[in-house]
Amino acid sequence: MENEIPPALQGPTAKEKKYDRQLRLWGAHGQMALEESHILLINSGPGVVGLETLKNLVLPGIGNFTIQDSAVVTQADLGVNFFLEDKHMGQFRAEHTCNLLKELNPDVEGHFITEPVELFLNKPNALKPYTLVLVTAPIRPELLSQLSSHANATNTPLFYIHSVGFYSHFAINLPLAFPVVDTHPSPESTTDLRLLNPWPELVQYAAEKTKDLESMNNEDHGHVPYVCLLLYYLGQWRKDHDGRVPQDYKEKTAFRNLVSDAARTNTPEGSEENYDEAVAAVLKSLNPAEPSSAVKEIFKAPECQRIDEQSPSFWIIARAISNFYDKHTALPLPGSVPDMKARSADYVQLQNVYKTKARKDIAEVLEDVRRIEEEVGKKTKVDEKEVETFCKNAAHVKLIRGRPFHVVQAGQSIKWGDRAKSLAQMLTFPGSLLPLYIAFLAYDEFTATPNKDSLGSASQIPGAADARLDVENVISVSRKIIDDLINEAGTFIEDPEYSEVLSTTADFVKELVRAGGAELHNISALTGGLVSQEVIKVITEQYIPVDNTCVFDGIRSKSEVIRV
Amino acid sequence: MTLAMTGTVELEPSQPSNARAKWKHMDTVLDRSGPFTDPDFRPGETPKESLARAKVLVIGAGGLGCEMLKDLASSGFRDIHVIDMDTIDVSNLNRQFLFRQEDVGKFKAEVAAQRVEKRSGSGVKITPYCGKIQDKDEDYYKQFAMIICGLDSIEARRWINATLVGMVDEEDPDSLKPLIDGGTEGFKGQARVIFPTMTSCIECQLDMHAPRAAVPLCTLATIPRQPQHCIEWAHIIAWEEERKGDILDTDDPEHITWLYQKALKRAEQFNISGVTYSMTQGVVKNIIPAIASTNAIVAAACCNEAFKIITSCNPCLGLPGTDNYMMYTGDESVYTYTFEHQKKPDCPVCGNLSRPLQVNQDSTLGEFLDSLTERPEAQLKKPTIRTEAKSLYYQSPPSLEEQTRHNLSKKLSELVENGEEVAIQDPAFPTTFKYKLVFQK
Amino acid sequence: MLKIWSMKQKQQQDEAASAGTKKKKVTAAQLRVQKDLSELSLGSTMKTNFPNPDDILNFELTIEPDEGMYRGGSFVFTFKINQNFPHDPPKVKCTQKIYHPNIDLEGNVCLNILREDWKPVLNLNAVIVGLQFLFLEPNASDPLNKEAAEDLKVNREGFKRNVRTALGGGSVKGESYERVLKK
Repeated sequence: MENEIPPALQGPTAKEKKYDRQLRLWGAHGQMALEESHILLINSGPGVVGLETLKNLVLPGIGNFTIQDSAVVTQADLGVNFFLEDKHMGQFRAEHTCNLLKELNPDVEGHFITEPVELFLNKPNALKPYTLVLVTAPIRPELLSQLSSHANATNTPLFYIHSVGFYSHFAINLPLAFPVVDTHPSPESTTDLRLLNPWPELVQYAAEKTKDLESMNNEDHGHVPYVCLLLYYLGQWRKDHDGRVPQDYKEKTAFRNLVSDAARTNTPEGSEENYDEAVAAVLKSLNPAEPSSAVKEIFKAPECQRIDEQSPSFWIIARAISNFYDKHTALPLPGSVPDMKARSADYVQLQNVYKTKARKDIAEVLEDVRRIEEEVGKKTKVDEKEVETFCKNAAHVKLIRGRPFHVVQAGQSIKWGDRAKSLAQMLTFPGSLLPLYIAFLAYDEFTATPNKDSLGSASQIPGAADARLDVENVISVSRKIIDDLINEAGTFIEDPEYSEVLSTTADFVKELVRAGGAELHNISALTGGLVSQEVIKVITEQYIPVDNTCVFDGIRSKSEVIRV
Repeated sequence: MTLAMTGTVELEPSQPSNARAKWKHMDTVLDRSGPFTDPDFRPGETPKESLARAKVLVIGAGGLGCEMLKDLASSGFRDIHVIDMDTIDVSNLNRQFLFRQEDVGKFKAEVAAQRVEKRSGSGVKITPYCGKIQDKDEDYYKQFAMIICGLDSIEARRWINATLVGMVDEEDPDSLKPLIDGGTEGFKGQARVIFPTMTSCIECQLDMHAPRAAVPLCTLATIPRQPQHCIEWAHIIAWEEERKGDILDTDDPEHITWLYQKALKRAEQFNISGVTYSMTQGVVKNIIPAIASTNAIVAAACCNEAFKIITSCNPCLGLPGTDNYMMYTGDESVYTYTFEHQKKPDCPVCGNLSRPLQVNQDSTLGEFLDSLTERPEAQLKKPTIRTEAKSLYYQSPPSLEEQTRHNLSKKLSELVENGEEVAIQDPAFPTTFKYKLVFQK
Repeated sequence: MLKIWSMKQKQQQDEAASAGTKKKKVTAAQLRVQKDLSELSLGSTMKTNFPNPDDILNFELTIEPDEGMYRGGSFVFTFKINQNFPHDPPKVKCTQKIYHPNIDLEGNVCLNILREDWKPVLNLNAVIVGLQFLFLEPNASDPLNKEAAEDLKVNREGFKRNVRTALGGGSVKGESYERVLKK
C-alpha cells in the first residue's frame, strides 16, 4: 500500500507525531484499541492511586474515561492529590479531578458521576458502557462482589487496587480465557531457522551457495550466509554420524569446533565474520522446533478441542495450528531471518526462501481454518490478517486463565483452591512478598468487620484512630489467614519457619496500620504507573499482563507477582 | 550534625495548623514509627521540618522530570529547582504531562515549573533554569540537599556524577550530596541511589548501559541488507557527499524527507523492503520509545527514595552494604530486581579521590615532578601531569612532550591555582594519582 | 539523612582535605586519554600533532608507511574524542582525498573497532595500530571506495600503479586525488 502514495506525501500525521514514542511500541493497532476503550474508575479513600492510573491512560489517548466518586474535596486531598487545587475545597472530587485530567489530552472524553457507589451500581446496566473497570480500596465487600460478578458475566476486565503508606497491591480479574497473540517476544528468542529439518527449497539454496566452498576465493568464501554454512557442515557431520545431527551439548560443542576450524585465517582480518556468526549460532539454532509448554497447553485446552459456531477466532486458528503441528511436527514458520554477513542479493534471496515457506504455511493453516468454519457452521469468517499474525507468533502465543480475586468477607475464611499448595510453600521462601499480600487481606477483613462500638456498618480503616489497638486485631486476623492457608494446603510448617512467617507478616501489618489508610503520593504514583501499564496491555491485547496479583514494597523497593 | 540541615531555606515562622491539614496523609506516617524505622527516628516535627527545609534539584524536565516535580511537590518538598536546556516538542505530549499543545517550542524547565507551582498552591516554590548542567559550578550544586536525575544522556549523568564525587570534602558533611538517578526505555527502567564516594557511582555502573549497536560502515557502503542499513547509508554517507556544508538538523522535516527518499531509492536498488518515514526518523534521531507509565514508575521510585532519605521515616536504598539499584521490566508481567551494585576500587571517578598535597609555589614543575619520584607511595618514573584546563607535562607522545617541555622550568604558581587538582599518570602504574596542590604559606 | 555522615566518617581513613574545592576537576575522559597517550607506541612511521596542546581530546595523527603499497605517502587523520569516551569511540577521519578501498573520498574510514566492534577496554593504541594496518593490507571485501576495491581485486599490479598515481596527486578513472607524498 505504501508504494501507491508518492513518498513526499508520506510525512507523519499530527496524531502520529504526538503519539510517535508509543506507536513504536504498540503500533496503530494497539492505539486504535486504546481509542475505542471506555474506562471506569470507582474511586474511594484518599483516591490518589486511581487518578494517577487514569493520568497515564489519558496521556496515551484512551477514548473515554468516567470517574465515579461521591467524595467532597477536603484539605487532606490538596497536598497529596495533584489533580485538585485549593479552590476546589468542599466541591465534588469527581468533577474537578475529571476536568484537570481532561486538560492532559484534548482527544480524550472525560465524564464523572457523583452519586454514591451503592446507588450507582443499583441502576440497571450501570456498568454496560465500560470496557474495563478500576476500583480502589476501601470498598464494601458486597459491592466488590457485585463488580466481580459483573466482570465474570460480561468478560469485562476488573482491577482492584490498594495504596496504603509504603505498600501497594493490585489484582486483575481477566476473562477465563484471555489469549495474547502479539506478545512482543525479544528478537533473540524469535529466530527459528529450521536447520535440523530444512525444507527442499532451503536445502537447494544452501547447496547452491556452498557449491565448491573449499575452492572459493576469499571474497566469496567470506560472504556465504552462515545459515548455508551450518547446513553445509551439518551435512558433513551427518555423513560421519549415521545421519544423525548433533544431539547433546558435547556433540554440539564438537560440531562448533568443526565449523570454527573450517574458517580461513589467511584473510586481511585473520578471520571470517560469517564463520564467527555460524559458530555463535550453533548452540541456539540447533534445537528441535518443539513448541513451548504454554503453546501445548493451548492445543490441549477444551476450547481448542471443542470448536463450535460460537468459538472465538483465536480458538479456531489455534485448532488449525494444532492440526498443522500434528501433521508436520512443527509450527508454521515465522519467516523472519536475522541479519547476517552476506551480499545484499544473497541475503534478499535467503529472506525470500523463508518468506515463501512462511506464506505456504499460512495458506495451509488458512485453508484448515476455512474447513473448520464450514464444519461447525460458523457464520462470520476469521480475518486472514489474524491468521497471518497468529502463524508468525505461534511459538510465543500466551493464554492467561483469568480468575476472580479474593473478596474478603467479614468472618469468612479465604479459599485458596488449587493454589493453596504452592502458596503455602511460597510462604517460607526468603524475601517472598506473599506475607504482604496476606497483610492486605487482613487489612480488608478488618475494614469489612463492623465496629462493635459504633452503630451501623460504617467501615473502619486500620490505624485511622488507635494504631496500637488495631495492630493487634489485624495481626490476629492475618494469623488466622495463614493458618487457614496451611490447613487448606494440607501441609504443616515447622518452627522456626512458622514463627518467621508470622513475624514477617506481623511487620507488614504494623507498617500498613501505621499509615492509617493514608496514601503517600510516590507509592500511589508508582502503583498508578504499574496499573496503567497493565490496563494498556489488557486493552491492546499486546505484551503479557500480570497474572493475577502484584504487590509492591516501597521500603525495600521490590515487587512480586503472585497467582492467587 | 544531620545532613538534612543542608540546602535549607528559612521556614515561615510556625505555619497555621490549617496549612498542615493539607498534609494529613503524609503526617500520619511521619507522626508514627514503624517496624522498620531506625531506632533513632524521632516522629513528628523533625522529619516534617527536614522536608520543608530541604532544597532539592531535579535535573531534566522531560518524561521523568515532569513526574518528579509533581511527585516531590505532592510529597511535602517545598523548595525545588529544575534544570533543562530543551524546548518542548509535539512528540513529548504523550507522556510529559505538564505540557500542552500550545507550549510547543517553549522551554521545558520554565513551563514545568510554572504548572507545578500553580497547581501546588502557596508554599511550594519551583525555580527553573533553562540551560546546561555544565553551566553551573560547585557553588551552585552545593546549595542542594540532594540531586534527582531524570536524564536520557549517559554523558550528562557521568558529568554530574563526577562533579558530585569531586565535591565531597572529608571535613564538611554539607559537601556530600546524595544522587538519585532514574532512566527508562520503553517498558524498562531503573532507579538507583548513590552516596558519592561512599557507594558505587554512575561510573562504577557504566557497564549497565549497553552501547548502541552499530553496523560496519562497509556494510552500509557495499552490501546493505536491512532497511536500517539504507537509512544509515543516507545519513552517514550520502548526506556528506551530496549536501556537504549543510548541517543535518534531525528536527527539520525537509532533511528527514531527503534522507528518507535517498534511503528508499537505495533500498529499491537492492530489493530491500521496509524503509518508512517513521523508521528513518527513528534511526537518524536514535529514537527510544517512551511511555507515561514507565516514567511514572521510575520517577516515583526515585522520589520515594528522596522522601525516605530526607525524613528517615523508613530505610532508603543506597546505604553502604545494602541494595542501591532497582531494575524494572514491564513488558512481560511486572518484574523488579533490586540489588547492591558494588563499588569498583579502580573506578576512574570514585576509586581514587584527590588528596591535598602541600607544595612550594615557587618551585618549578620540573622540581615538583622530581620530588614525586621520591615520594614513597608514588615512586613515579616517567610522570605525565595535567589540570582540567592545561596539559602541564606529557612524557608521550613526542610532539606533546616537545610542546609541554617548556613548562618544566615554570614556577608552579604560574601553572596552577592554589587548591587546583592535578592528575598524574605513569606507564608503570595502572592508576591515576590525583592531588589538590596546596601552596605552602 | 540521620546517619549517613557518621557512616561516611567511619568509612574514611584518609587525611582530611584542607584546600578549597571549587576548582575544576580533570574529567574522566581526559584521565583516560591521558593514560592512553602515555601508553602510545608510535614507532618511526607515525607522529602526532596537537593544535592546542592543552586540549588532548583533539589531535592529528600522521602515518608515513615505510613498507607496502602506500610507502612514501603521508596520511593525516583527525581524532575527535568526546567527553563520553571511552563509552563512545573516538571519531577518526582522513583529512585528505586518497585512493584506498577502505577510506572513502570524504575521509570516512572503515575500521571495525571505530564502530561496531568498539569496546571501552580498547585504547587509542589499538585504533592507531588498526589504521596503520589499513595501509599495509588494504582490504577489497566490503569496501568504502568501490572502484579502488575492484581494481585491487581484479588487477593487483594495476591497483599498485593507481596508488602511486594517486599519491602523486594524479587522477584515477576520472577522479583526481590529493598529492600526499612525504616531503
